[in-house]
Amino acid sequence: MKTDYDVIVIGAGNGGLAAAVTAAKLNHKVLLVERHNLPGGAATSFTRGRFEFEPSLHELAGYGPQDNPGNIRQFFDWAGIDVQFHAVPDAYRMINTGKDKLDIRMPTGIQNFMTTLIQAVPGSQASVQAFFKIAIENAQVFAQLSAHPEALDPATLATQHPLFAKYGHQPYQRVLQALDMPAKAQEILLAYWCYIGIPSDEFEFAYFASMLVSYVTYSAYIPQNRSHEISSALVQALQANGGTAWFNTEVTQLLTAEGAVVGVQIGDRKLYAHEVIADLLPDTVYSHLLPAEMVPTTELKKANARELGTSGFLVYLGLNRSATELGIHDYSTFIARDWDTRHQFAGMHQLHGNDFMIMNCLNVANPTCSPAGTSILYATQLFFGDSWDQVRPQDYPHLKTQLARDVITRYEQATGVHIQDSIEEIEVATPVTFARYLRAPEGDIYGYYGQPWDQMVARSLTAAQEDEPLPHLHFCGGAGHMLDGYSSAYASGQFAARQASHNLQKEVL
Amino acid sequence: MAQDTLEQLLIDRQRHIAAGATTPLPTQYPVNQLAAALHPETQYLKITKVVTHDATARSFYLAPDPTKGTQHLAYFQAGQYLSVRITIDGSVVTRPYAIRSAPQSALNDEYILTIKRVPQGFVTPYIFNHWRVGTTVTASAPMGTLTINPLRDQSHIVAIAGGSGITPFYAMASAILDGTEDADLTILYGSRDHHHILLGDELNAISTQTDRVHLVNVLSDEDYPGYETGFITADVIRRHLPAGPVSVFICGPDALYQFAQKELTAFNLPAGRIRHELSGNYGDPRQAPDYPDSPANASVQTFRLTVSVRGQTQTIPARADESVLTAMERAGIHAPSACRSGECGVCRARVVSGQLFVPNQDDHRRLADKTYGYVHTCLAFPLSDCELDVPVHALANQFG
Repeated sequence: MKTDYDVIVIGAGNGGLAAAVTAAKLNHKVLLVERHNLPGGAATSFTRGRFEFEPSLHELAGYGPQDNPGNIRQFFDWAGIDVQFHAVPDAYRMINTGKDKLDIRMPTGIQNFMTTLIQAVPGSQASVQAFFKIAIENAQVFAQLSAHPEALDPATLATQHPLFAKYGHQPYQRVLQALDMPAKAQEILLAYWCYIGIPSDEFEFAYFASMLVSYVTYSAYIPQNRSHEISSALVQALQANGGTAWFNTEVTQLLTAEGAVVGVQIGDRKLYAHEVIADLLPDTVYSHLLPAEMVPTTELKKANARELGTSGFLVYLGLNRSATELGIHDYSTFIARDWDTRHQFAGMHQLHGNDFMIMNCLNVANPTCSPAGTSILYATQLFFGDSWDQVRPQDYPHLKTQLARDVITRYEQATGVHIQDSIEEIEVATPVTFARYLRAPEGDIYGYYGQPWDQMVARSLTAAQEDEPLPHLHFCGGAGHMLDGYSSAYASGQFAARQASHNLQKEVL
Repeated sequence: MAQDTLEQLLIDRQRHIAAGATTPLPTQYPVNQLAAALHPETQYLKITKVVTHDATARSFYLAPDPTKGTQHLAYFQAGQYLSVRITIDGSVVTRPYAIRSAPQSALNDEYILTIKRVPQGFVTPYIFNHWRVGTTVTASAPMGTLTINPLRDQSHIVAIAGGSGITPFYAMASAILDGTEDADLTILYGSRDHHHILLGDELNAISTQTDRVHLVNVLSDEDYPGYETGFITADVIRRHLPAGPVSVFICGPDALYQFAQKELTAFNLPAGRIRHELSGNYGDPRQAPDYPDSPANASVQTFRLTVSVRGQTQTIPARADESVLTAMERAGIHAPSACRSGECGVCRARVVSGQLFVPNQDDHRRLADKTYGYVHTCLAFPLSDCELDVPVHALANQFG
C-alpha cells in the first residue's frame, strides 16, 4: 500500500515530540501534527510584559549531571538538543502550617539528605538507611523500566532484583511502616507524592522511591528559557532529521483498513502511514477519532476501568523586586495544613478548602530568568477537573482571583515573605485553561490516575503486550507506561517510536 | 489492594480491565464545555442594530448566529477585544476591536462594537459601506489582557484614551456601574473638539450615575468650558490624579502611547502600574529606532515572500514597510492573527530563510522563538526575500 509517511505522530506534547524525534533519528519519514500553534503541550511558555513564564515544569528528572547522565540527558544528547540546563540547588522546603508544625529544608545529595532527615527526626537513622538501600535498587530498576519496559518480566525481576520484586509495587506507606520509620520522617519524605498525585496508601514504592533518589542524587534540572526552549529544540531536531511538523492542524479521524490503522484524516486530506503514534489519551482516540465499532472491546473496557488523572491550578507572578530583596531563598516550597496525603487528595476534589500548594521561585535556580531587580514565582495546586464542573462562565474570572488570592495569602503566612505589593504581572491557569490548550478531558494533565493495578510497574510490564490495540497504532504521553511528567512522557514517546520502528523494519524484511 | 508478587499484580490488572464497562465513552466533559463557552474557536455573529454616532463613528450590535453554530456569546472581561475576520476584494484580514458593551450584556447575547472610520483605511470604510442589520460577522473569542486584575492593579485606575481607544474603558465604566468590577476609574479622554467626542454623552450618563467613574475630556483643537485643552500632559494628569496609588491604562494610537508614556515618567510609578494596548495600531517600521540603516530617500522595496503551508508553497510580493502578515492577507492567504500588535502570538510562524525586522520595543516573542527563528508575522517586516512556514488553521472542533 502506498504511504505518505512511515510514521505520523498526532500531538506534539512531550510524548509526541520525543516519538517524532526518535522515529526521525531512526531514519523514518515522520510527520508530526499538532492542533495548537505551539509545540510541547504543557511544555511551553507565555509572556506577560517583561516576563516569560514557565507554565508547568517544576523539576526535570532523569537528566543528571554531565559525568553521570540520566536517560533524558542521553536522549537529548542523541537527538542533538542544545539547551542550557540549570541544576536545582536544593531538594525542597516543606512547611506544615497545621497543628504538627514543621518547616524544614531538604538538601540534595543522599548523604546530606539523610543527615538532615536523621537530625530532624531522632531515632530515624536505621529506618532511613534501610529506606535508601531499597530505594536505590528500586531506582535502578525504575530507570531500566523507563527506558526499556519491554526488556523486563516478573521472573527476571524476582531473581535479579529481589528488593524491587518484593517492595516495588507495594504502597510506599506500607513499606515505610514495615521499616518502622517514625511518622515525622515519613511526612518529610513524601513531598513529591503530588508530582504523580496518588496518595501514599496506594502509590507504589518503586515510583515514589525512584523520584526521591533521582532528585536527591542527580538533582532536578530546568532549562534556561522555560520549557518552550526544549520543545522548540525538539521540533528543530525533528526537522534536522528530515521530519515535518504541522501546527494549527487537527486530525479528525484515524483511517483504517481491515481492522488496522493506516493513516489520518486532516481537513479533506487523507494521509497514509505505516505507523500512527497518538500522544492523546486513548479515551480521546476511541471517542473521537475512531467509529465505535472499530474500538476493540478490551480497549473499551480498559478505558472505562481507568480513571482520569488530576488537573492543575497555577498562579504565575512576575514581581518587581528580586528574590533576594523579597527574602526568597527556596526553589520549591511545599505548603499544607496537614501532610496526610489522603487529606490533601480529598482537597483536590473540592473547589474551596484545597490547602496544599507548591510555590516555586524560578530565579533561585535560574537567576537570569527575568530582568534584574525582578523575580518569577508560580504556585501550583492540583484539582480534579470535576471540582470545576459547576462553574459558570460569569463566575469564572472572579473565582480565579479569589483562589489566587487565597494561594498568595497562604504562602505569605507560611513563609513570612510579603509579595502582594510587588505584583507586576499575574496570570492564572485552571483546569479550564488546560482543557482549552491541551484539550484533554476535564483538563487532565496527569494522564490516567494510577490505580494500584494501573501504575508504573503494571503498565511497564505490560507495555509491549498492550501496545498496538489496533495494528500499527501506538500511544504515548500521560497515558504511557511511566504515568505523568516530562521525563515519563519523553520515555513513553521513545518507546512508542521504537515499537513503530520495529514494525517498519519487519516490513522491510 | 496491593499484590504479593508481580505475577499477581499483572493478573489483577487483567481482572480489572476485564471487569470494565462496555458502555460508550463520554464525548463531552463539563470542564471542556466551559472552556469552549469561554474560548470558542470562532464566534459566528449577526448584526441586529446599527447606531450612527456621527459621520465617522458607528456602533454595531451583535448577536449569535445559531444557523452557523454559535448558540451563545462568550462571556468576557471589560477591556477585551474581538478579532474580527473580514474578506475584502480577495484579501482576508483581521482587525481587533474592543467590546464596548458591558460583560453582563454578553450574558444576554449582545456585544457592541463601536468603530471609527479611518478615512484612508482599508477595513473601516469597507465596514461602513457593508455592515448593515442582518450582516453576518465572523469573530474570535474575547481576547486581550487590558483588564482589571485586583491582585495586580491598584483599586483606582486612571485610563488614558484617544479616539476609539475609549471603547475598552467604556466597557470598564459600564462594568463598574453594574457592579461586575470593583474599582474606581478616572478617564482622561483626548478628542479634537467637543463635537467629536466618541460616546461622550453615553460616558457622561455613566459618570452621573456612579461616583466611581470620573470623566475628564481633553480637547486638542478647542477651548471649551469645563474641559481641558491641549494634550494629555503630565500637568493634566496631575490635576486629575486621585489621592492614593493608581494603575494607569492606556489605549489609543501608538503616538498617544509614546506621548503618554513620556509624560508619565514624572510620576515614578512602580513597574507594572502602566499598562497599554496598541490595538493593532503599530505604525511604520522604518520609524523604529532600531530599524537597520537604509539610504536616505530610498524608495520602499518590495521583496519576494515564499509562504509554505503544510508543504505547499506560493510566492507573493511583500513591501518593506508592511508586515509579512499584511502581505499574506493581500494575497488572500488565511494567515492566523489576532492582536496585530506583536503580543498575543497567534500569528507565530517559522522563518525558513531570509531576514526580517522585528522592532525591539514591541517584540513580545518567547526567548526560544528568537533563537529558533520564529516571528510574529503581524510585527515582522521583510529586509530581504524570505520564506516562512505558516500554520494556517486546519481545525475541527474536537470537543464541540
